Amino acid sequence: MTSPAITSAKPAKFASRFDRFQVGLLGLAALAVAGTLVYGGYLLTVMQLAMIYGVFCIGLNFFMGYTGQASFGQNAFACIGGYGSAILCVQYGWEPILALVASMAIAGVFALIIGYPTLRLRGHYLAMATFSLGLITYDITIQWTAVTQGYMGYAGIPPLGIGSFTIDSERWKLVALALLLGFGFWLSLRMRDSRFGRGLRAISGSENGAAALGVRVPRFKLIAFIIAALYASAAGSLFAHTVGFISPEVYGPQMAVMTFTMLFVGGVGTIVGPIIGAVVTSLLQEVVRGSGHFQDIAYAVVLLATLIYAPKGLSALGALFRRKKEA
Amino acid sequence: MPSGVELIQSLVNGLGVGLIYGLIAIGFSVIYNASGIVNFAQGVFVMLGGMFAHTILTRYGLPMWLSAILSTILVAAAGVLVQIFVINPMWRRNAPLFAIILATLAVQLLIEQIVILTLGDQPRTYPEFTAGGPLKIGAIAIPYQLFWILGCGAVMVFALTQFFERTRMGRALRACAQNREAAALLGIPVERMLVVAFALSAGLGGVAGILITPTQYTAYLIGTPFGINGFIAAIIGGFGSPVAGLVGGIFLGVIQSEAIVFFGAGFKNIVSLTLLLIVLLFFPKGLFGGFQKKT
Amino acid sequence: MALLRTTELTKRFDGLVANNAIDLEVPEGSLFAVIGPNGAGKTTFFSMVSGFLSSTSGSIEFNGRDITRVPQHEIAAMGLVRTFQLVQLFKGMSVAENVEVGCHLATRGGVAASLFRPAWFRKQEREVRERAHELLEFVGLSAQADLDAELLPYGQQRLLEVARAMAAKPKLLLLDEPAAGLNTQETEGLAHIIQKINAQGTTVLLIEHDVALVTRIAHRIAVLDFGRKIAEGTPDEIKAHPEVIAAYLGVEEASNA
Repeated sequence: MTSPAITSAKPAKFASRFDRFQVGLLGLAALAVAGTLVYGGYLLTVMQLAMIYGVFCIGLNFFMGYTGQASFGQNAFACIGGYGSAILCVQYGWEPILALVASMAIAGVFALIIGYPTLRLRGHYLAMATFSLGLITYDITIQWTAVTQGYMGYAGIPPLGIGSFTIDSERWKLVALALLLGFGFWLSLRMRDSRFGRGLRAISGSENGAAALGVRVPRFKLIAFIIAALYASAAGSLFAHTVGFISPEVYGPQMAVMTFTMLFVGGVGTIVGPIIGAVVTSLLQEVVRGSGHFQDIAYAVVLLATLIYAPKGLSALGALFRRKKEA
Repeated sequence: MPSGVELIQSLVNGLGVGLIYGLIAIGFSVIYNASGIVNFAQGVFVMLGGMFAHTILTRYGLPMWLSAILSTILVAAAGVLVQIFVINPMWRRNAPLFAIILATLAVQLLIEQIVILTLGDQPRTYPEFTAGGPLKIGAIAIPYQLFWILGCGAVMVFALTQFFERTRMGRALRACAQNREAAALLGIPVERMLVVAFALSAGLGGVAGILITPTQYTAYLIGTPFGINGFIAAIIGGFGSPVAGLVGGIFLGVIQSEAIVFFGAGFKNIVSLTLLLIVLLFFPKGLFGGFQKKT
Repeated sequence: MALLRTTELTKRFDGLVANNAIDLEVPEGSLFAVIGPNGAGKTTFFSMVSGFLSSTSGSIEFNGRDITRVPQHEIAAMGLVRTFQLVQLFKGMSVAENVEVGCHLATRGGVAASLFRPAWFRKQEREVRERAHELLEFVGLSAQADLDAELLPYGQQRLLEVARAMAAKPKLLLLDEPAAGLNTQETEGLAHIIQKINAQGTTVLLIEHDVALVTRIAHRIAVLDFGRKIAEGTPDEIKAHPEVIAAYLGVEEASNA
């Protein structure tokens, strides 16, 4: 076996870690945050939400991108996070940080209980089961008024902070959220580039192949599901503490479609995809600012166009160029 | 504790809704069998059926029967558009399963929002096909519309069965269902068959929507619950013959409407979604095992 | 001593007997081959041994332990690792990462270790990378280490799968038609690598269609036909066995002619 298939001295490295293109995209995202901090105004809110959805998408990417499984109901866990934060802070006067962590723990336990039986399903069944999970949660937030206050939702949720120090200004909120997103991203990188992360990605490549090498496929899927739920819950809490108001609509089916749009636009399964997708999609949304219906239409159209014409998203464009060059 | 009359009355109500679920379930399996795709936007066709019928009735003052036929054709055309512009490009490219599912979800959201912008977000309804009623048997009231649903359901199932067994096109569709590659080798235009499947399936959903609207209402957001319930019915029926889909639908409709009596209407969807999870978890291959052959 | 022993191993699918009471002993250190025409039940046999398929009756013993009902990941953990007839590459991962996944069993640590990265974990990750590099060198793929695995030509994908399985440090390596789809030159290279693996002390059980390859490299051969074992022996014995010639070699020669 001495066939010299690759003649270039430096083989492409895009499969394993960042390529330069992705680093560039990340740089642009950071620039967008910095620019927003300078200009301020309504853009601050847009970027705050982009950071929050970025956190959500990093988690979703763990389950759908790296592990290659389908979950159409992650908004359920964001819902647990958001309502957990709202109820603990507003009703019981908890510290926001503690409420966020406690809600994450609750979401994690739920993910464990729900995921254990559900993840045995495959294909359409898994898709429908997770989809209905999101819908059930949405219905419960509307119907279980004693706890969730129904359509009214919760207002006056305190912003993040420690002790008497609270992050009040919109600029500092964005800084804090960007730092938290960076932290979440860093954690996700550590998990990805390890024995555990390789096991996950092997499952998405070939379940049989992974099992033959001793990867405990069901357990790894479950852990990925829980990780995704923890990120989702954190994002749900951050939304509550940043905006100060939540209602069932925030975590409804629209959220599922919106976050999918972000993940697919950015590039599902890529390292920087979740962040790029969240920032780009949020900015795009500003272009079609106006009625909420137009925004939803824009999401649906962008998602469809991405799925049909660019299924690998923005972050994979670099790889595409390189592949063409090599060919 | 609900009385006997209440229980029987809810049984009657459940029968009507269940038949509608059955029609949707058949729509699911027509597409699934021809393409291996589960169209998560199936419920949107039900919504469109009622919406179109109402619009034609009120804006153009056409008679009910003509409105119904026109709406069915329009909904079938919508199904064809979805197939040509969304499903086919992805299908050709061998897109992964969950990407296609996601695309159908996006289609649903898109159509819903377009409906809000063009027809508004207010719920609407129109009178039953036959005035008068309901038929009273003791304390039980049977709306005349139920007979229309029963009659149309029977006609549709009969016509579908004939279509699949007697016509060339129907047989070609079944060939696609059994083995797509082999069907293509036999010279069956598989992509065109998919268009037919979407037209049929959307038309079925449209009819379901037209039939059910007089007994409740239609609005842009009814697609999801009807889609999910149709899917549950399809699972119970096993994605197989039209009759099985109908049986699955009736089963679900009755359970659901008894649940309303016990828990209240607000929990209708929660009950059926929970039922879905139970069916999925305890019968992961479907009650009649017809679903797993291609996944 | 037998590393792997199956006793009356049987698999029925809805009345169809895919494997009928197969007795097999694979001695430790040997290079053992199972051959047979298409549909003879080779892959079924393999899948039962590696725990991917449960048997209808009979038993499997590996390294002195009964593994008939042991789940596949535990079987793999005991040192019985398989490859697949249809290459099961991990798409979206580089060639080197594919082999690193192979080290899964030989290493430890989960989410917590990956987050906190204690010293032992960092050392282990370093060793994993080194081991992957060595193995790629061993099969001649080190130049492609950073390439996306799915971009490899088919013949090299096969080699990658072998390297990946070796990363798990198996006692017994099960190769399912490793030469399927390879040209003569590639088959030659693969045969050489299999022999090297065996020479370094790994027992190899090989399913193959290519009789010429098997009779050249295997120490012992078992022949399956219609789900039964019809012969077993050294390559020379097999070549001379009348039933084998009738059932398999004859057919093969006829179809090659």
